[in-house]
Amino acid sequence: MTKTMLIDTTRCTACRGCQIACKQWNDLPAEKTINQGTYQNPFRLSAYTWTLVQMREVQHQGQFYWSFLKRQCMHCLHPACVSACPVGAMHQTPTGPVLYNDARCIGCRYCMTACPFRMPRFEWDKRLGHIRKCHFCFDRQAEGLEPACVKTCAAGALEFGEREEMIALAEARLRARPERYLQHVYGKEEGGGTNVLILSVLPFEYLGLPTLSGKPLPELEDTLAPFEYLGVPTLGTEPVTQLNDDLARYGTPSIAVGVAAILAGMQWYGRRRAQAKEPAAPVPAAKEPKP
Amino acid sequence: MTTWRAQLRRSLTISWSEVLVLLVLAALTALGLGVAVVRFMRGLGATTSMTDAYPWGIWISFDVFVVPFSAGAFTLAAVVYLLNDERYHVLVPPVVLAGLLGYAMVCAVLLADLGLPHRFYNIIAFLNPESFMFEISWCVMLYTIVLLLEFSPVILERLGWEGPHRLVRSFTIVFVSAGIILSSLHQSSLGSMWLLLQAKLHALWWTPILPLLFLLTAVAGGLCMVIFVSVLAAKAFHRPVRTHLLANLGRAVAGFLVLYGLLKLLDLVVAGELGLLFTGSTLSLLFWAEILLGIVLPVTILSQPKLRETCSGLLWGSIAGLLGLALNRGNVSMFAIWRPRGTIYTPHWMEVAILVGAVAAAVLVFALAARLLPMMLGPAGAEEHGA
Repeated sequence: MTKTMLIDTTRCTACRGCQIACKQWNDLPAEKTINQGTYQNPFRLSAYTWTLVQMREVQHQGQFYWSFLKRQCMHCLHPACVSACPVGAMHQTPTGPVLYNDARCIGCRYCMTACPFRMPRFEWDKRLGHIRKCHFCFDRQAEGLEPACVKTCAAGALEFGEREEMIALAEARLRARPERYLQHVYGKEEGGGTNVLILSVLPFEYLGLPTLSGKPLPELEDTLAPFEYLGVPTLGTEPVTQLNDDLARYGTPSIAVGVAAILAGMQWYGRRRAQAKEPAAPVPAAKEPKP
Repeated sequence: MTTWRAQLRRSLTISWSEVLVLLVLAALTALGLGVAVVRFMRGLGATTSMTDAYPWGIWISFDVFVVPFSAGAFTLAAVVYLLNDERYHVLVPPVVLAGLLGYAMVCAVLLADLGLPHRFYNIIAFLNPESFMFEISWCVMLYTIVLLLEFSPVILERLGWEGPHRLVRSFTIVFVSAGIILSSLHQSSLGSMWLLLQAKLHALWWTPILPLLFLLTAVAGGLCMVIFVSVLAAKAFHRPVRTHLLANLGRAVAGFLVLYGLLKLLDLVVAGELGLLFTGSTLSLLFWAEILLGIVLPVTILSQPKLRETCSGLLWGSIAGLLGLALNRGNVSMFAIWRPRGTIYTPHWMEVAILVGAVAAAVLVFALAARLLPMMLGPAGAEEHGA
């Protein structure tokens, strides 16, 4: 079974120790940042920042919320990046982590385009850039340790364990403190399920996550500059990769065979037509104005 | 032998205005190549406007447009070789060359687009059959070879190499068939590529029948390209415009576009997304623009015999069809994809320069080929005839 991380945003204090632990364990450089009018820092994920406490100020049902959400690769059960990658550089280990093979990648960045969470990031500053993203501390996991961010979390906002255990823990928390949580475990079903589960008091649309409803909330306007795009992307419960994989497996060969059959038919028809015309061959083809 | 020499001499006499055009094309090509060197030296971040929010820029949009543009080669080949309709044979060589140059452009631009271009061969070494990017890259490679083979008789004939010429000719039907199968896969897989973006691509464009829609628009767009290239080449190199033949293709374009429009409408009805058409958002307006430019306008022009039998009717009908195709591919590959708030992408001048260089190089090669391989365009000054 797969390993899963549970993020309880109601417990997070935004100390950002997880960001530091991630940088330390993975030897990632600090980034020069600029003030964007929020404590969120660095402002966005990058090839050098694999996890980030996203901070949003939200008004919901007449109440003010300062919401903190640790963003990182969701390690989907059915990762779009893995289906997308033409060379199999993106791959999934049996225990869950979605990993990236430096030596195979050709830098086409289809994984970045395909990921519904926009987690793969590219080393734009390098002459030969690679894709970078959270790898779920697969190296620590292999030694029986939890990811560095979980280890360091002082507020108890991060838990790590078997997926079933984490789902059970999350649901237990929802039952124990119903007033504290929206009654939904994000990641249990979204896109076929993810190995990062999230609990929140706010609807997940506010957190900028693709949701099952994709309903645009009146207060929310995620803009697609320069074109507007209300709300957040919609993510069904079926695996995001289902249609793609089925089509690749069965569609491609069917198209090849089908087209070949049509071609054979057309050739047969063409020959028949040519034969039918044969007797009239000596007559120079006259102009044939189409009806 | 003397006729060969005379032909060559005639093909080498050239007017000053033509020299000027060729020089400008050569200069733009050189600029594009120079910028490409800078791009490979300094990397994608320094030479493009792409970011993590816009991991794909105009290069990809260009590619997904040029591939269906180049589909003219396979649709025309299907008509000629498989329906055994020899009348269209005169149209084939310039169209196949245009398709070949289109694919060459795509290969060049794709190489510039790769973050790790020195590892491009990994696409052959490591396969993930579930990736439509894998299918696309294989189809690009194989179909480019097929187009080379399809065009080679013109060159072999010119060189007077009888043996190879006869050999290639005898296998024509094989690689024409291979080209049609590869093209069907390639054009549809360009649509399949966006299926993974169900969450991110706007519902007006995302549909499970994207591969079918992409294939249909490729056939219609490819036929538009046949008309466009044939008319322009005839005008530029003083050959008669074969209006009757092209009008037949124009009628087929109108038919395919009507079918495409109906499918698109049906898809929105079935998905219950008709309401999205009337939200008045910028994206819905873009959708309408695409429908008007890419379906309504070309169908209006090309469905009327009076208009499609004229040179300008053919030209404008095909241009409208191609612009609509370009807008559709631009919408799918760029505008209708969800991005984080406040991010914007304006192409870097170097991205544009590389595209301009690629197009200039293709036009330059086409112009030179028209000079050095005059038989490519058929006999000069010949009257239009149906046979």
